[in-house]
Amino acid sequence: MHGVKRVQYSQAALEAKKQRDHDKLKAYLALSDDVIARKSHDMSNEAFELTTRLLRMNPEFYTVWNYRRDMFIESLFPQRSPSEVNELLSDDLSLTFELLKQHPKVYGIWNHRRWCLEHIPDGPSPDDVNGYRNSTWNKELFVVEKMLDADARNFHAWNYRRYILATMPFPPPPKSELAYTTRKIEANFSNFSAWHQRSKVLTTLWETGELDRVKSIEEEFELVRNAMYTDPDDQSVWIYHAWLIGNGNYAARLQFEITSIQELLDEQPDSKWCMESLVRYKRLLIEKHAENLGDKKALVDSCLELLAKLRDIDPPRRRRYDEIAEGIRSGNEMQ
Amino acid sequence: MDFDTIVLGTGLSESILAAALSKAGFKVGHFDANPYYGGDDASLTVDDLRDWAESRKKNTNTVYLEAQRQRFSSISLTSSNVPRSRTFSISLSPTIIPSVGPLVDSLVASGVSRYGGFKLLESIAVFDQPSKVKPVPTSKEDVFKNKELSLVDKRRLMRFLLFAAGEFEGSNELAGQETQTFLTFLREKFSLANKVADAIAYALAFCTSPSDLTLPALQRIRRYLRSAGRYGPSPFLVGHYGGIGEIAQGFCRAAAVNGATYVLGRNIMSLNPPPKSLGSQANLRWSLSLDDLDEHPSSRIVAAQPAYISSSSPSSPGGRSARCVAIINTPIRFSEPPPELNDDVSVEDIGPGEIDTGLLIFPPSSVDSGSSTAAASCLITGEGSMATPSGHWILSFSIPMSEQDASREPEELLKPYLEAALTLTSSPSPDSPTKPLLTCYYLQTLPSANMVVLSGSPQPLFTVPSDIVVMSETADTAATHAEEAFWKIVKDLERKGVKPTKIKSEGEGERSEEGVGEEPQLITQFWPPLDSVGDDDD
Repeated sequence: MHGVKRVQYSQAALEAKKQRDHDKLKAYLALSDDVIARKSHDMSNEAFELTTRLLRMNPEFYTVWNYRRDMFIESLFPQRSPSEVNELLSDDLSLTFELLKQHPKVYGIWNHRRWCLEHIPDGPSPDDVNGYRNSTWNKELFVVEKMLDADARNFHAWNYRRYILATMPFPPPPKSELAYTTRKIEANFSNFSAWHQRSKVLTTLWETGELDRVKSIEEEFELVRNAMYTDPDDQSVWIYHAWLIGNGNYAARLQFEITSIQELLDEQPDSKWCMESLVRYKRLLIEKHAENLGDKKALVDSCLELLAKLRDIDPPRRRRYDEIAEGIRSGNEMQ
Repeated sequence: MDFDTIVLGTGLSESILAAALSKAGFKVGHFDANPYYGGDDASLTVDDLRDWAESRKKNTNTVYLEAQRQRFSSISLTSSNVPRSRTFSISLSPTIIPSVGPLVDSLVASGVSRYGGFKLLESIAVFDQPSKVKPVPTSKEDVFKNKELSLVDKRRLMRFLLFAAGEFEGSNELAGQETQTFLTFLREKFSLANKVADAIAYALAFCTSPSDLTLPALQRIRRYLRSAGRYGPSPFLVGHYGGIGEIAQGFCRAAAVNGATYVLGRNIMSLNPPPKSLGSQANLRWSLSLDDLDEHPSSRIVAAQPAYISSSSPSSPGGRSARCVAIINTPIRFSEPPPELNDDVSVEDIGPGEIDTGLLIFPPSSVDSGSSTAAASCLITGEGSMATPSGHWILSFSIPMSEQDASREPEELLKPYLEAALTLTSSPSPDSPTKPLLTCYYLQTLPSANMVVLSGSPQPLFTVPSDIVVMSETADTAATHAEEAFWKIVKDLERKGVKPTKIKSEGEGERSEEGVGEEPQLITQFWPPLDSVGDDDD
C-alpha cells in the first residue's frame, strides 16, 4: 500500500520466528505421515482426532477430508442415535466454519460442509423428521452471509449461497434475496457476482408475478444509471444494463437510455463504455425499429463517428470496431 | 537523577519523543505537573474535568498553572449528577486520526499500537437545518447511494474525488490557482453545486472558513482519500478511552518499559539553566526543582511544553478557538429509519441511524446566531469508542474564533451549535428537549510554541512552532514534530559525545555498560526494530 512503511523486526526476533517455524514444520510432517499411514485401515476415535489436528494445520489436504468422511460412514455413525450423529455433524460444521474464516477459498472445506449438510439424519423425533435439518440449514444462510461480508466477491460463497437457497427446506422469499443483493451492490457495486445474483432473482420474481416486471425494470434502470454516473468505467454495470435492455424490442426504452448515456458522455467525453454502449443500442434501433426511425442515416453516421473515436482511445480493440463499422455500413445483422 | 533528556509535559508530541529517545537508548526523565498523563491532550473523567476547570480558574503560583490559565480561559462548567462518572473519557483535544499518516506509522513501528484499541469513525455529516443533516459522500459507495445528488452532480463529484486522490500538482486544473480559495476552485473548475462544494470543503478537507486556500485543502483531501479502506470505509480512527490522551499514555508506557523515569503530579517550582561557564559546553546541565522533592533532576537537554518555561504567551489575534464539551444520554441520529418496515426489508437494510462515533460539521452560517465566517465541528463519541458508559455520549464542539466573532464569549457562541445538535436527538416530547447532563465551555488560545528544546545555551536549540491546525491533522502534526525534535536532540547529544546505552532485546531493563567495549550506536531510524514478531500470523 502507499505510504505504509514495513515494520522492522530485530535480528533476534526474526531468528526466533525461524526456529518456531522449523519446529512447526517438523511437527506437521510427523503428523501427516502418521495419518496417511493409518488411512487405509484405522477407523478409531484416536485416528479421527488426528485428522482433526492435521486438517487444522492444512485444510487443503483433501485426502484427509475423504479419510474423515470414511470414518464417519464406517465407524462413527453406525450404532449411533440420530441425535449423536447430528452432534458429530454439528461439530464438523463448526470446525469448517472456523477454518473458512482463515481459508475462505478452499474447495475441500466447502465440499465437506455440503457433505455434512446432506447427511443430517432424520430427527429429532418420528413426528418431526426435519427438525435437525431445518435448524442446520437456517444457520447455513447465516454462515454464508458472514463469508460474503468478509469478501463480497468470493465466488465460492456465492455458489454456495445459491446451493443453500435451492436446497434448504424453507428458503427465505426471493424478495429478501433481492434486498440482499441490493445491500451488497450498495456496499460496492463493482461486484459482478452481486449483479449476476440480482438478475437471477429478478427473473424468478417476474416469472412468478410477485414483482411487476415493467415497474421493476424501470427501477432497475434507475439503479444502474446511478452506478453508471458514479463510475462509468465499471464493467459489471454496463453488462447489467445490457441485460436489462435485452433484445431491444422496446424502442422508447432504447431512445431514453441512449439519451441518458449521451448526457453522461458529454460530462465524461473519454468514456469508452459510454461510446460502446451507444453504438450497441443505436444498432439495435437501426436493426429492429428501422420503420419508425425518422433519420436512419444520422444514426448510422453517429455510430461510425463513435467507432472512429473508439479506435483512437482503445487501440487494442480497433479491429473489432472496424468489423462492427463494416457490419453497420453493409446493413448486416448484429453478430 | 541525571538524564540525557528531561521532557516536561506528557502531551502526545512530548510522549512520542520520550518513547523514541528511550527506545534509542537514552536516559529520559519525563515530568508532568498534572496527576494524569496527556497534558493538554489528556482524557479526563468527569471529576478530573471538574478539577481541571477549577485549577485553571484559580490564581496560582507556578509558571505552569499560570500559563494554563492563559491558555484556557472563560471556563464555565455546569452539571447535574452524572452517573458512573468514572467511566467517561473526555478528551481535551478531540481528534480524528487519518489511517495513513505519521501517527499511525509511529504507533505501528513503536509497538504502541498493541497497547490500545481504535474505533473507525462511523459517519461524517453536514448540518443542514434543525433535525436534518446531510451525509458527506467521500467514497464511490457513498456517492452511489446518495439520494440527494442529481446524476450529473454525482459524476462531477466523482471526477473531483478522482482528481483529488491523484497527482494533481502541476495539473491543468491547478494552474494559476495557488491563491484561489478552495470553495471557488471547486465551483469553477469542477462545476460543483454550492452545497456539494460546502460538504467537500468543510467536511472532507475540514476547512474552517471560506477563505481557506486550495492547495493545502487538496493535499489534506488526498491523504484522507488514500486513508479510506485501510481499516474500513472511513479514513479516520478515534482512539479508545478518549483518543489521543490514551495514546500519549501508551507512548509513555513504551518509554517507561525502555527505562524512562516518570514523575506525575508534582509542581515544577523552577527550571534552572546551566551555570554560565567559560569552558566546554558539553557538560552543562539544566536542573529541575520539584515541589516536595529534595533531589534536583538534571539533564543536558530539556524538551518542554512552553507552559513549563514561561507563563506569558504573546496574545495573538488569531489562534483562539471556542470549545464545548457536553454529555448527553439520548442518541444522536444522522438519518431517519425508513417509514415502512415490512417483511421484504430486513433490519440491516435500515441501518441504525444512531451515531456512536461520528463527526458533525456546521458550515459557516448554517446555524442562526452561530458564526457566519467560521465552520464548527462536533465530534460525537459513545460506548463504542470506550469513551462513555452505555447510553451516554460525549459531544465535543470546536470553532475557531474569527475576527468577527472575537468579542463573543465561548458559551454564547457555541450554545446555538449545541442546541442545533440536540435537535438531532429524539427527545421524549417537544416541550422537553434533550438536556445535557454536563456542559463545559472554554476558550483555548494557541501557545507561543508547541515544544521548546533547550540545550547548553540560553537560546533554544529548536522550537516547534505552534500553528493553527485542523482537528484531523493534530495527531499527525504531533508525530511529525516529535520526530523533528528527536533528530535535533540526537544530533546534539552525539556532538557532545553522549552515547545511548543499548538495552538487550531478551530482557527489559538490562543495560550494558555504558561505553565499555561497545561500538558507538549510530542512530539511523526514528524507531528501532521491534523485539518480537506478533503471534497473529502463525
